[in-house]
Amino acid sequence: MPVKKLPVRAVLCKELSLQMSPSHRSLIGDQGPELVPFCWPFRTCSKSSFVLRPILEMQEFSKVYLDFNATTPLSTEVQKKIVDAMSVWGNPSSIHWAGRLIKTELREARRSLAMGLGVGPLELIFTSGASEASNTVIQGLWNLILQKELPEPWAGRREFITSTVEHPSVMKAMAAIEKRGAIVHRIPVARDGAFDLAALQQCLNDKTLLVSVMLANNETGHVMPIERIVELAHSCGALVHTDATQALGKLPLNLGQLKVDYASLSAHKFYAPKGTGVLFTKKGSPHQNLIFGGAQERSRRGGTENTLGQIALGEAMKKISEVSFQFERLAGLRDHLESRILQEIPEVTLTGSGVPRLPNTSSLVIRGVDGETMLMSLDLKGFAVSTGAACSSGSPEPSPVLLAMGLTREEAQNSLRVSLGWTTTAAEVDAFVETLKGVVHHLREIAKAETGTTGKAAKG
Amino acid sequence: MMMSDSKLNSIPSAGQKTQGKGRVLVAMSGGVDSSVAASLLVDQGYEVIGATMQVWDYSICNIEEGNGSCCSSLDVDDARSVADHIGIPFYVLNCEHQFKEAVIDPFIADYLQGNTPLPCVNCNTFLKFDHLVRKMKELECDFLATGHYAQISQTTTGRYELTTSEDTWKDQTYFLFTMNPELLPKLLFPVGGMNKADVRQYAEERGLVVARKKDSTGICFVGKSGYDNFIESQVPASVLSELKGELRRFPTGEVMGRHEGIHHYTIGQSKGLGLDHHEKMFVIKIDAKSKVVWIGEEKYLFKPSVKVERPHFLQPFENGEVLNVKIRYQHRGSAARVFQEGAELRVEFLEPQRAITPGQAAVFYRDRALVGGGWIHL
Repeated sequence: MPVKKLPVRAVLCKELSLQMSPSHRSLIGDQGPELVPFCWPFRTCSKSSFVLRPILEMQEFSKVYLDFNATTPLSTEVQKKIVDAMSVWGNPSSIHWAGRLIKTELREARRSLAMGLGVGPLELIFTSGASEASNTVIQGLWNLILQKELPEPWAGRREFITSTVEHPSVMKAMAAIEKRGAIVHRIPVARDGAFDLAALQQCLNDKTLLVSVMLANNETGHVMPIERIVELAHSCGALVHTDATQALGKLPLNLGQLKVDYASLSAHKFYAPKGTGVLFTKKGSPHQNLIFGGAQERSRRGGTENTLGQIALGEAMKKISEVSFQFERLAGLRDHLESRILQEIPEVTLTGSGVPRLPNTSSLVIRGVDGETMLMSLDLKGFAVSTGAACSSGSPEPSPVLLAMGLTREEAQNSLRVSLGWTTTAAEVDAFVETLKGVVHHLREIAKAETGTTGKAAKG
Repeated sequence: MMMSDSKLNSIPSAGQKTQGKGRVLVAMSGGVDSSVAASLLVDQGYEVIGATMQVWDYSICNIEEGNGSCCSSLDVDDARSVADHIGIPFYVLNCEHQFKEAVIDPFIADYLQGNTPLPCVNCNTFLKFDHLVRKMKELECDFLATGHYAQISQTTTGRYELTTSEDTWKDQTYFLFTMNPELLPKLLFPVGGMNKADVRQYAEERGLVVARKKDSTGICFVGKSGYDNFIESQVPASVLSELKGELRRFPTGEVMGRHEGIHHYTIGQSKGLGLDHHEKMFVIKIDAKSKVVWIGEEKYLFKPSVKVERPHFLQPFENGEVLNVKIRYQHRGSAARVFQEGAELRVEFLEPQRAITPGQAAVFYRDRALVGGGWIHL
């Protein structure tokens, strides 16, 4: 295929010694380059040949998105699938032809998802998102305790264990059941991202019902030692839930092999739409509904299905096999990003980088620079990044996750999160670093000039 | 990801700085004045960035939102929708900490001292024209704009002056006397040259959702429940109980009864004194030390002079110069001689003034130009 027919970005990537993946080649062959808004997956020849040459002429970008941990854009395939699926509008619970048509689509979506995650189709419960999935597990188990309906061998257990760096949907669900009488232990996570396994071991006992620890942290990207956590928990007879939201699409993820009992996932972190999530409940694990209603999801979650969302997620899952090469590619881009920032901007530190982590996330503390202002400045220049979790922005308090990891309030307020995605290019990363350099320099100059001039006027 | 989508490219973003009139940060409260200010700047060819300062956690008080009290969360929504409508980027700046320290705490302290505070001045001094000035620089803006009714003009010698607005009823220069004069070349008050009716008409014509929104009245964070209820919600009961004391007749000293706390009273007040008395009585004086609230006949409210502390000047004045002096926002101003007395000022009115209230500002004008001001104390 002639290079000149490719969109500009493809040419750029080509220059950066990247080759197209076979799937992309077939996609271009089918639809022609004009239907590809951005170059979808490019494959590196190998990690060693992934050479990042400095860009001689800086590409002018109007908008660059580097906040993939907040959400992801819909992939071209997913967009197309949704448009197609819009003409299939029946109620999946109906017996007639209209119901059957859509039921088939949903079954296919579920199968695609189950295959991609290495679990059985009936072990998946579609929800409105990962928050609902996590709440279902935590509140459901607590309600079973209260109703004395926990089956053997879990009957009589009533303690919960979680970490100090969970997503609010886990953190606050735990706080809510704690208020109603549950015993909740919280395992600390160090500044470098290390989960305190010894503390977990101390907390685990024959009363522990559930250990809920996220697979990867949304703010710093550090990956938790879930396999070890599962081993320890299971050896005590406890159940394990993991919020795997940030892992989907970033780490090879096989829930079956992971041996967790429950997992929460969200479609919009994986190039599919918002409002759809999945709760994995291993066969035989206790379950109680959060939402009671019709017989949908085998009566485990009431409410007529979000058909478009489920179909879209099923479509997105077809790309799950590309995760391993994206892992390599993103890790290369991230390393490039971090090494440039650390070399070219003084007084920057990384958070959560002492343990294995997601290939796409950098959590930076840029000393003396207010994260909120930095974010606005970068936004005005077209770069979308974040200071922490999108869910907590607008709150005056610095990120509770970073504080829990031992950062000072000031450090947490000077934090910046950059999260790359499947469509991120080296040129975008370089353009971002150049812009960040300018913004940080500018903001530090102002801070320097302002020091000592505060408190000038009298208060009345 | 490079967004090639046309919808994405229509998202307002400053991008490269335009070569036009420069970039402006406009403080948008969600009210009609600042909304029109932002829209006018867009019309005039500036590159405009909107920002709302979130100053108070409204979830902790029983304020009724959206009725023109500035910066409540419904007002933030209004500001955001105006920004969308006129196509400018918009941000919410969290200023709760600064606001509490610079505005709320001094407000409460003032009330406990028996004064009647004027928090809007501190908000201007420490938030709008300090914190936002810094944001202006940080966001590489050339100007800062607000919806104040005030004007900036240049004298024949090229000096910048702050002058009263076209709409003399709405003029807000009273709240701006602490302004650093060096800032004036950086400030824009787009509605200062308009009448309120024209501002509303413009908002209607431009289709701004806030066109018919009620004007803000009173103090944004106090709400409908009143000052005393606000103070009581913020101050521990032990402190409140110490504010109780005697009601005495001025000047005889006769004890007329007891009161429930000096924070319920302001100079000149005649309602709510809890007295069954045949003549109309007024609060003449509040003694924060002894907690005595002095009440008496109206004639005792008139005073020929007042002391002013912590003065601030935007332009020089001659000692003893006759200036027009406003002693409260809705005061029309009275001629007075202003004398420097050490670090303070003495203001001698040509005619005695009624109910000069400690905690309020005395603000001086030469014709339409704001000369300076200070805080009234007795």
